[in-house]
Amino acid sequence: MTKFRLIAPLMVLMLVLAACGAGNGGADGSPDAGATDGGTDATDGGGDGGGTGAEDDGSITITSLWGGTEQEAFEAVLAAFTESTGIEATYEANRTDYATVLRTRIQGGNPPDVAIIPGIGTLRSLAREGALISLSELGIDQGSIEGNYAPGILDVGVVDGELYGLMVKLNSKATIWYSPERFDEMGVEPAEDWDGLLQLTEDIKAADATPWSLGAADGWTLTDWFEIMYLKMHGTEAYDTLFSPEGDWTDATVQETIDKMLEILNEDNVDGGVDGASATAFVDAIAKVFSTSPSAELYYGGGFVGGIATGTDVNPELQGQEGTAIDWFPFPTIDGNGEGLVTYGGDVMAALVNDSDVKAFMEYLTTAEAGQVWAEGGTIISPIVDVDTSVYPTTLIQAEADQVTSAEAVRFDGSDLLPGVDLGALLQAAFRGEDTGPLLEEFQAAVTTAWSEE
Amino acid sequence: MAVATRAEVSAPPAERNPGGGFNFVALAFMAPAALLLLTFLVFPAVYTLALSFNRGRGGQFSEWVGLTNFINLFTNDPNFLRLGFPPAGALWNNVLWLVFYVFLSVAVGLLIAVMATRVRYEAIIKAIVFLPMAIAATAIGVIWSFVYFPNANTGLLNGFLGVFDVGPAAFLGSTDTVNWAIIAVGVWGSVGFCTVILSAALKGISTEVLEAARVDGASERAIFFRIIIPMISLPIAVVSVTLVVNVIKLFDLPYVMTRGGPGASSRTIAFSMYQEAFPQGRFGYGAAIAIVMLLLLIPVLIYNVGRFRSDRVTA
Repeated sequence: MTKFRLIAPLMVLMLVLAACGAGNGGADGSPDAGATDGGTDATDGGGDGGGTGAEDDGSITITSLWGGTEQEAFEAVLAAFTESTGIEATYEANRTDYATVLRTRIQGGNPPDVAIIPGIGTLRSLAREGALISLSELGIDQGSIEGNYAPGILDVGVVDGELYGLMVKLNSKATIWYSPERFDEMGVEPAEDWDGLLQLTEDIKAADATPWSLGAADGWTLTDWFEIMYLKMHGTEAYDTLFSPEGDWTDATVQETIDKMLEILNEDNVDGGVDGASATAFVDAIAKVFSTSPSAELYYGGGFVGGIATGTDVNPELQGQEGTAIDWFPFPTIDGNGEGLVTYGGDVMAALVNDSDVKAFMEYLTTAEAGQVWAEGGTIISPIVDVDTSVYPTTLIQAEADQVTSAEAVRFDGSDLLPGVDLGALLQAAFRGEDTGPLLEEFQAAVTTAWSEE
Repeated sequence: MAVATRAEVSAPPAERNPGGGFNFVALAFMAPAALLLLTFLVFPAVYTLALSFNRGRGGQFSEWVGLTNFINLFTNDPNFLRLGFPPAGALWNNVLWLVFYVFLSVAVGLLIAVMATRVRYEAIIKAIVFLPMAIAATAIGVIWSFVYFPNANTGLLNGFLGVFDVGPAAFLGSTDTVNWAIIAVGVWGSVGFCTVILSAALKGISTEVLEAARVDGASERAIFFRIIIPMISLPIAVVSVTLVVNVIKLFDLPYVMTRGGPGASSRTIAFSMYQEAFPQGRFGYGAAIAIVMLLLLIPVLIYNVGRFRSDRVTA
């Protein structure tokens, strides 16, 4: 037993040493701060390494969570970039746990050169952590590129007055997808206002079909519903306030919007009922409308639905049948409000390493040439104004581009702007029929804390 | 060599003299292990503790926040703990796991162990029950996600229920069923472990004891509850403690099967820690959850250490 007596003082010694170590770490920032500094120094002095490879070595690495057709479209952009600048660009896809991988790489001192940032909340926190390089730090003047974009689009990527994230692609989120052929068979037509949409829902049921498909297992499908409806019902000003730190989620307009939403999204109208839809992921929900054995008639989701429905995940046979087997109509006005208002989702790309290759790439992304190449891929709308809509390969996406560019006002996906809170979970609970009153109060408390902690 | 030998020889007297002298040889022998423990156990633990009092933005020590993380965790985070009836949140889910997963795994494992000893094809039964232990938890999660799939053409369980015109039900899509569905998978994965350990323990009970009881006219029921259970109480405790530790660190099944959803309804403590720290980047908050986990594990640890020291471990 006496042997153990030695362990006690030894352990105490270890604890003290360890505590000192941690304390020092806290005092001078952290090991990561050192790594970031190293990265910056490297560019100043030139070439002492850091990031995924040597600085200014004529190659860059870009990461994102895109795969499939989205990846192909982006790789075409990279190829065009390499051709025009001679800089090698490698794409790395992380389809799952993208945010985790990105943060781990940053912490490990091995960030990709350029990365798609998953969400504006993440963009803000990464920018404030010092992980991102702003465009002005890269030496790109915001004023000189502003004219390339539609008004307001670049503001989404601004954190504390500095532009960090470039909006590179976007999709309308005001599109309801259906099959014109099957609509003809049922003798129904797309709706132009909310009452018309309710009537359409009833008519489809009367034709012995299931009106709506919903992928509520992915919370963001419901936040998309909420956002377009809130924007249409209560206007741009209320929308901007709600998704800002001043937003009040216990306000009556929120409950009103949820109630309206549930007029359509309920047990009677949704394929599989509430439970079935709650367990359906969004690609499966798209497949319910556009697979070879469809079980529902309508799917509301962003413009990217077209690419997925006609891709290998769902039904490639639909390619070339745009306008007959697959089409979309604009999300209707609600009680006469919201004409010309469109929500959109998009991805911002930011630099994590400061060198001339990265600068060249970020500059290239703002050009009409890059936008054009990307647009030809047919999965996205380019935010760059000089991209001619005729380059979009299908009528579906041309119409989507027209919808966005001719809109009276566009608003960015609000839940993407919120700090780390889960609006989707709240809406999932509402969809399952839980009392939203206390949930909204809880959410308001959580969202206030989250904003204050930013 | 000679010097070292002499030092070792001289060690025993020092031990017989508690409080006198300092045993440098013992220190030298412990140093490598101690260094490893220090680097990989003590340092991360202390670092995590320090981080839990910090905002910890991006994993860096950014701003001291005192107990704010802990206070938020228990009063302002319905995803972690929502009091009321019924309670909810990750902490409550772990309580459900603790009670039902541990009890059911042990009970079913014991039942199979007892019944298997009475049939000739015991080895086959045990092999089948043990099979899930050979499957990685991730694979188990994927397999059962298919079993639970709401579409009856894919989902085995819904296909089966469909025969009786029941369902289809989305077991993983409803907050009412999701935790039970995952607990059932956990039990399925752990029963084999319990069966094998408890079966070995059953073999250790001498047949004379059982025969004596039968001669005295004890019913099989009485033999089971009054003789078998008390005699294997120690292995049962060992198995239970192992399962309790499994529960507190449970991450894989919710991660693979539901990502903590729908909403946050099937999160566990370990899953919350991951979710807050990594994708959300709230490392201070995640560290606070890790500390809560550590505090929950300490009683189990003390119990285990106590058992190692007791003589009963060899019984």
